[in-house]
Amino acid sequence: MSSYGIGIALILAIVAYVAILANLGPSLMWHESIIVGTITGIIVGDVQMGFTIGATLTLMSLGMWTYGGATIPDFMTGAILGTAFGALPNVGLEGGLAVAVPAALLMTQLDVLGRATTTLFIHGADKAVARGDVKAVTRWHLWGHLPWGLTRAVPVFLAVWLGAEPVTKFIGWMPDHFMKAMRLTGAMLPALGFALLLSMMPVKKYWPFAVIGYVLFAYLKMPMVGIALMAAAVGYLYINVKGVANRG
Amino acid sequence: MTEKVLPEYGPVTKADLSKAAWRHNVTLQWSWNYERMQALGYLWSILPILQRKAKTQEELIASMQRHLVFYNTNPAVGSPIIFGASCAMEEQTQGEMGDSLKVALMGPFAGIGDTIMAILLRPIIAVLAASFAMNGSWAGFFIMLAFGLFWFWQKFPEFWWGHKQGVGLVHQVAGGALEKLTEGATIMGLVVVGGFVPSIMSRLVTTVKFSQTVEGAKEAKVVELQPALDALLPYMIPLLVVGFAYWLLKNRKQSPMMVLLWLTLLAFGLSYAKIM
Repeated sequence: MSSYGIGIALILAIVAYVAILANLGPSLMWHESIIVGTITGIIVGDVQMGFTIGATLTLMSLGMWTYGGATIPDFMTGAILGTAFGALPNVGLEGGLAVAVPAALLMTQLDVLGRATTTLFIHGADKAVARGDVKAVTRWHLWGHLPWGLTRAVPVFLAVWLGAEPVTKFIGWMPDHFMKAMRLTGAMLPALGFALLLSMMPVKKYWPFAVIGYVLFAYLKMPMVGIALMAAAVGYLYINVKGVANRG
Repeated sequence: MTEKVLPEYGPVTKADLSKAAWRHNVTLQWSWNYERMQALGYLWSILPILQRKAKTQEELIASMQRHLVFYNTNPAVGSPIIFGASCAMEEQTQGEMGDSLKVALMGPFAGIGDTIMAILLRPIIAVLAASFAMNGSWAGFFIMLAFGLFWFWQKFPEFWWGHKQGVGLVHQVAGGALEKLTEGATIMGLVVVGGFVPSIMSRLVTTVKFSQTVEGAKEAKVVELQPALDALLPYMIPLLVVGFAYWLLKNRKQSPMMVLLWLTLLAFGLSYAKIM
């Protein structure tokens, strides 16, 4: 199978729709690349591809947050498309990443569109409130998710349904050394996530704690769960010791 | 002329509060828009309370209009507390006081909530989950799923706490307990990042080899560069790449998009130069 039928395209579109709403409303984090990547992997029959694409995009997005409603790259849509295409024969991980990253960046335009279109709904609600029409207020709010869901679901549907053949051809036409460079790019991109995160933390004041983490892994080969536990203990001790010192 | 009394008019019950909490915790942002952001979601969530308190249609319209004003804060940490307190105010027919509470608290809670989520909790969970997923384990997926469920669940105790505190909330927030929590979590975050940078990016190694002709030996001896780098400072390349990206962001004030471009160029350059 070198492309997807309309059925898979529809299912993945629904995944995108549900995932964005599950994050928007209940904060369930289903839009996280690892979650949608894995679910897409199950649907297209390549869970490992979902794990890898999801993990890579998650690491890229580390420091990114929609502060006050800001638009950030749409890694959710990127993970769905990257996993779906990566699972095709002759495309593979490098090809999947080559689709996922530009898709996540392009989708920012549609995020803005969705957030702007919903403005119509609050004006509808204004009129409903003036009439005292509680049922209409309810409708305007509950259907407010249409622009949000559709701005994700429609591109996913079209890309998966129509895009598989051109993408497979394009990736097949790429020379080997290009794919090797793409692989290295994939390995390097988590640096963006880490750097963004660090740029928002008070590194100048607390840098020794980062060194502790580095030494635990690089020299003592501590597994990651151990590092996380150590981190919790160090954080707890620091604020308590500081509290005692302040009391004199 | 006597106004018709609305059928919903009556005392606010625990079931009404629970209904409001569910509405808020499940749907707050579904109608999020640039103009008034979470306003419509807030209004729809608090409607069960407003309907109980409004005797006439005029009163209902007036109270609904009060809640259609701009509102935006962190939907998971903060908003349930504010909403709980605001419900308590409406219950005691102190709606206007509730409105000023909303305005006073949404800013600080957005700051605290976004920091806790974006800088402290999510990165730790995400990196942990990603490193499991990278190694082909389902654990990463389930860690993320559990985190989301927890995040959703914790909004309910937040709501009831906010409801109990009511106006006293402003003093609680100003108390400084949250600052301590933020500092402890920042430290935790830095230790984790320090450990995870080399762990996650350990695939970045150089393939450079030197042929060295030793006098007297018949064949040239091949010396690899990577072990030499490891002896000097383990995981030197991951540290340099993250340092480079950090420098671009912080010192050169580049946008994340530009850093992405630079990293791609760097990877292509190093790959074609056969350094990595």
